[in-house]
Amino acid sequence: MNLFTRLWEVTRREFLAGLRRPSNWVLLVLLGLMALGLSDGLVTVSSGESGVGGERPHITSVFNQSMIQTIVMLVLAAWFLAISSGMVVIRDLELQVVEVFHSTRLTAREYVWGKFAGTVALFLAIWLLFPGLSMFLIHVVEASGGSQTIGDFALGNYLFPTLLFGLPQILFFAGIPFFLGTWTRRPIPVFAFPLAALLVTLSFFVGWSPSWLSPEVNRTLMLLDPSGFRWLNETFLKVDRGVEFYNTAPLRPDLGFVFSRVALAVAGLAAVAGAAGTYARRTLAGGAESRILRRFRRRRAQPAAPASPTTESKATLSDLAMTTRPLGFRKAAGVIARSEIRDLVVRPGMYLFVPLILYMAFASTLLAIGPFNSRILLTPGAVADRQLNTLNLLICFLLLFYTVESLHKERSCRMHEIFSATPVGTGAVLLGKSLGNSAMAAFILLAALLGDVVIISYQQLFAGSPVGFDVVPFIATWGGVLLPTFIFWTALVTALFSLFRSRYVVYGLGFGLIIHTVFSVQTGESMTWAANWLAWDAVDWSDMGAFTLHGTPLLLNRLLYLSLVPLLVVLSVKWFGRQDFDAMGILHRIHPKPLLLGTLRLLPLAAPAIILASILGIKGESGYQGDAADDWAEDYWKKNSATWTDFPMPSVSHVDLDLDFEPRERSVAVKGEYTFFNHRDRAYEKLPVTAGPWDPIEWTMRGEAYEPDDRANLFVFTPGEPLGPGDTLTIGFSYDFVFMEGISKRPEGAGQFILESGIVLTAFDPTFAPVPGYLPGIGVDDDNSAEPRDYEDDFHLGETEPLFGWGGAPFTVRTRITTPVEYTANGVGQLIGDEVVDGRRTVVWETEHPVSLFNVVAGKYAVIEGDGTAIYHHPRHDYNVEEMSAALDAARRYYSEWFYPFPWNLLKISEFPAYAGYAQGFPTNITFSEGIGFLARSDPLSHVAFMVVAHEAAHQWWGNLLTPGDGPGGNILSEGMSHYATKLLHEQVYGDRYRMEFSKRIEESYGDRRYVDSERAMVRTDGSRSGDGTVTYDKGGWVMWMLQQEMGRDNILAGLRAFIAKYNPDPDYPVIQDMLAVLRGFAPDTTGFDDFAAQWFHDVVVPEYEFSDVTKTREGEEWVVRGMVENVGTGWMRVEVGAVAGERWSDEGDDAGRTVVAEGYRDARTAVELGGGEAAGFVIRAGFEPERVVIDPDVLVLQLNREAAVFEW
Amino acid sequence: MLELRNLVKVYPGPVAALQGVSLEVPRGMFGLLGPNGAGKTTLMRIVAGLLEPTSGTVHFNGEDIVADPRRIRRQLGYLPQDFGFYPHLTGESMLRFLLVLKGVEAPQGQKRLAAELLDRVNLSHAAGRKVKGYSGGMRQRLGIAQALAGDPKLLVVDEPTAGLDPEERLRFYRLLAELAEDRTVLLSTHIVDDISVLCPRVAIMYEGRFVADTTPSEARGRLAGTIYQGAVAKDDLARIDRDYRVTQAILIEGRNQVRIHLPEGAPPDGFEAAEPTLEDAYLLLAQGNANGSNGTGGEGDGDVDDDAAVEANPRS
Repeated sequence: MNLFTRLWEVTRREFLAGLRRPSNWVLLVLLGLMALGLSDGLVTVSSGESGVGGERPHITSVFNQSMIQTIVMLVLAAWFLAISSGMVVIRDLELQVVEVFHSTRLTAREYVWGKFAGTVALFLAIWLLFPGLSMFLIHVVEASGGSQTIGDFALGNYLFPTLLFGLPQILFFAGIPFFLGTWTRRPIPVFAFPLAALLVTLSFFVGWSPSWLSPEVNRTLMLLDPSGFRWLNETFLKVDRGVEFYNTAPLRPDLGFVFSRVALAVAGLAAVAGAAGTYARRTLAGGAESRILRRFRRRRAQPAAPASPTTESKATLSDLAMTTRPLGFRKAAGVIARSEIRDLVVRPGMYLFVPLILYMAFASTLLAIGPFNSRILLTPGAVADRQLNTLNLLICFLLLFYTVESLHKERSCRMHEIFSATPVGTGAVLLGKSLGNSAMAAFILLAALLGDVVIISYQQLFAGSPVGFDVVPFIATWGGVLLPTFIFWTALVTALFSLFRSRYVVYGLGFGLIIHTVFSVQTGESMTWAANWLAWDAVDWSDMGAFTLHGTPLLLNRLLYLSLVPLLVVLSVKWFGRQDFDAMGILHRIHPKPLLLGTLRLLPLAAPAIILASILGIKGESGYQGDAADDWAEDYWKKNSATWTDFPMPSVSHVDLDLDFEPRERSVAVKGEYTFFNHRDRAYEKLPVTAGPWDPIEWTMRGEAYEPDDRANLFVFTPGEPLGPGDTLTIGFSYDFVFMEGISKRPEGAGQFILESGIVLTAFDPTFAPVPGYLPGIGVDDDNSAEPRDYEDDFHLGETEPLFGWGGAPFTVRTRITTPVEYTANGVGQLIGDEVVDGRRTVVWETEHPVSLFNVVAGKYAVIEGDGTAIYHHPRHDYNVEEMSAALDAARRYYSEWFYPFPWNLLKISEFPAYAGYAQGFPTNITFSEGIGFLARSDPLSHVAFMVVAHEAAHQWWGNLLTPGDGPGGNILSEGMSHYATKLLHEQVYGDRYRMEFSKRIEESYGDRRYVDSERAMVRTDGSRSGDGTVTYDKGGWVMWMLQQEMGRDNILAGLRAFIAKYNPDPDYPVIQDMLAVLRGFAPDTTGFDDFAAQWFHDVVVPEYEFSDVTKTREGEEWVVRGMVENVGTGWMRVEVGAVAGERWSDEGDDAGRTVVAEGYRDARTAVELGGGEAAGFVIRAGFEPERVVIDPDVLVLQLNREAAVFEW
Repeated sequence: MLELRNLVKVYPGPVAALQGVSLEVPRGMFGLLGPNGAGKTTLMRIVAGLLEPTSGTVHFNGEDIVADPRRIRRQLGYLPQDFGFYPHLTGESMLRFLLVLKGVEAPQGQKRLAAELLDRVNLSHAAGRKVKGYSGGMRQRLGIAQALAGDPKLLVVDEPTAGLDPEERLRFYRLLAELAEDRTVLLSTHIVDDISVLCPRVAIMYEGRFVADTTPSEARGRLAGTIYQGAVAKDDLARIDRDYRVTQAILIEGRNQVRIHLPEGAPPDGFEAAEPTLEDAYLLLAQGNANGSNGTGGEGDGDVDDDAAVEANPRS
């Protein structure tokens, strides 16, 4: 028998043995289900038109198959492969068959390579069934149900991804665990490797791609990503290339990527070679440990003494005078725990996984990205909260591994009979083992805490952060949430192991439970407080008052799972395998009667958990997230939508509200009156008003008590006489209620709330005050939602309804707000009254200029006042308030100059707890979540707090003074114009550099998030399609900036002033067409204006530039740069080309803080005018030696892939 | 006193490892002899409280071990047939850990006690070495040390001399004999010499039943005058084996030294009367049970046909 025959025999045997392993059949079934699920066409490249009948990307395309195969391989198959490969040698060692093998001519290396080849061959055979089955289901069965998503059959579309993405991954994910298993001979590294690889790949390689990441780093990450998904995504998928491209273009990997895939495969094979080497050496050495492990473990062990000759001791056992006194429970548990800790300390896995967990925890903090890709200010609360899920998940995985291995340890080393025969109580054994493993969790938490101390302190001492370390948030979140989880989880794993006595069953159940819980919470539906044992996503930390939103259910949840621990402990002690049960005895015990009696005996232990779960279930169901709330909304829609949708309401001319809050009780007493004014030329016999679920409500009409018709909270008023044109009608109301009554059903944030930590209420919907008319959004879900409205091209002619607000003309508001004295309450308008009586403070806010909407916000604030501005913030959140105050002052001053004089006396921002993460620009009263602006960390390339304030403040003009119309393009007048205003303000206050950086960020956001085939012209963008958001915000802001270049700054600002003046107020709410009509009158070149508007507002274009044939030569004193530039995108634009040397911006600003050009920087420019697909040559003469050529050096033309349009020598 | 009553153990299969055995084990050394698979280890594990029987009772000094195995652990020294230790601990650390778990105390302290116990089993020289580097014999001696530690009222040792060299076996015999003076020692083995040397009483197991409960001298005495020994040429061995009941045939210096059991009649030429050994009795019992009848025996449990034992016919 020669080498190849022996090798083949081992390979064949391993292949056949693998066929008998259930895990491979489970994988086969899962892959089959995945193929079935994915063949229906629901998962495709994000491209194409989202509307009905639009062109769709083919599920059969090589891009789609590559995307699917990389994801399935990464999240599912690699896990199975790694474990089955890593356990091959361990399993044989446990079965003690290797010595028999090696007594034959089979060498150690032949054995190792044969085992590996057999494992990989079997996996490959199973894996190939996935594309094979996909082909069958897609092309033969046509599971997707239509040809729209199925392209022509091409075998290469299925096999090429397997070759390019799959095969290197297979070799890598088989080779590394194979080495780990062979080297350490322990299962934990084998199990943990794919988990670690999956987490790092998903969270880092695949998921982390901030806009400020340099192209070089990004490229490096693409090549390092074992899945290859980052390369695929960043190169082809992230920037949508359109359905045509994805359906027809070939997938051509670049040389670097091919090299990285080969390197990945080689790394896997090298690991196997390493495994063969270490195995061969250790086999020859009689199964001794590897040299590295031996060195690693060589601690204080005494050197081996030479074997002494047999000596005949004269002493007898009785001389030793031994006595026995069984250990007490605590002492025994302590002994076991110390033994476990000593064992953990020498395990190599600890030195692999603890750093990994810490890395993941720190990465989740340090790499965190906030609004506008901003970095987050690392406050103790934010850090503790952000690391909570990561630590929770990973430590639970680690506890699962180590608890199971610890419980199985005595059996693994065949010591269980001696161990079990000792008089130590089972309870002490289990407690000791649990304590030992918990010490590991405690160590990780402590290390994470120390790391956070270092990070936050470093940030404070060396990076200029104003935030210092505070241990309280860590104690509150980690102590209050993580510790109960770890105690419960350890008890559960112990009980499961005691019951099943199988490592693999417990691993399977444990993994399943963790993944099911996390997945359910992420998808948001089924994981209630009673079921969420991990308390996953259960903490919304706020420095303004932690746990005020979900404190009660969280506490009950923690108590629930802690209360289960005694029961689990009893079951563990009862079931733990110190004695092997008799099969007949088990059958007797599971007879109904003994089973029932046993269950009844355990009932007292289960009772607390049952009671707590019942409380959570019942109170959650009857609370604000319960079915009753849904029923109310559904009833409202059913009874009123047909009658009252599109009912044109009269205006409200005045709102008078008296609000008396009790934040601790989440309650408010409301009394108020609306004055309706019929601004239309029709009479109203009935007047609908929508109220919230407040019961009872006392209504008045014209000052008299009145009972309107109650149509599921749409209250219909019938005035004695119809409300004629120009008539007024007062409707009054009073009620008190608890907002968000009861407890939540599941952990979710809240957009509005009355909490001890703060109050945020808006008049968008009837959360605290009635809303005039019928609200079409209430009670609408997937089952009854309508197709988006189809607008005619001339929809904007005539009167257009407002996009948001109550409709009709703006109105005045007087809000009287009473709170406990420590609260400051803000409403719209100016403060006209402030008095404290009996520990309660009453403030009165009144609008001195009409508004279209109003809100109320309150908290325990400190305030910083500016020039006609004020910022109300949590006293400890003063990190950014200077920058924010400067931004608000600048916004008020310059926006007043540029757009329209600010008509109110005071512009203020109020912070609210981060239970929601938005900012909203209500008239005079802007609300910011603490996560936005207040906790943003400005970096050298942006002033994030400034940026957010500039945007939100701009809504005072673009949204309030100019309320856009309800129709396509309307929202661009709010969000796009606010982005444009932000650019203007950036440039005004900080200079060109920051305007350019902000422009690049939103340009990249547009490139990443747009859907080429779904994208419509800006005048037709109505928010109903995928990608409309980035068009509304990012492209809107950019196009207005380009229009400014076209018209000239003064002209466009004059035009915008005229535009606001015309429509503030006006019954016809404007959209883009109305704005263009006004601006055209201010354009110096109406032809150029029309051309610009035609391509940027009425069409979809975006240039993308590429250089070619770029050279530089010295001609006398000059350097001459020649080259070609091509617009491979669309749209005709004039764009500058610059030859530059040196860094452009100085780190030092001028006296006003504006950026200045660096001394060594020089550039020379020319310009080209290119339409889509056009190319032109350029020549630049420079009096210096250029270092690079860049397109659009001043960032004036919106384009795709700007970072690629650079040529460097 | 250890009392076993109607002990039955059926493994899934089903395999009847114990078929209703009863036994009384008084203070002192008691041997359990039987071939592989006879049920000895099953019996020992049940006595040690590590295996739940299908039915039957086990009492030690009146305490029901089956109902509450914890009771026996406080009084037990146990050496299983197949065992290991934490591989990364040294022999001394391992022993000290077990001493602590057992609650063993001594005036000289646990560290010194561990050293002295290791000395008793001749492991002092390897006390600082990791257990995973121990040979089979060294591991066995460490197992013996932990089993002897403390003051166990019941010592259960399953195949304790497996892997020990002759000197270590003798050392172990001496230690065991000392312990057996004032406590119950249950020794299971298939090595007849161990029983011969150590045990005043022995029970012989076969296929889950006791086929004899006797003393070594009694077992030997019952065969008095029936055992003959002689040297047989290779060609004659088949004939002797066919015509007589051969208890042993050992090749020594090219000739087969054969022992036969011949209750009646004249022995073959060249055969002389020999002193019966316990091994003869055991092997005859084993052969008898394999053939469906008993070979020898004594007072035993209800399963044994005592008087028929020595009357079993040769295969001729």
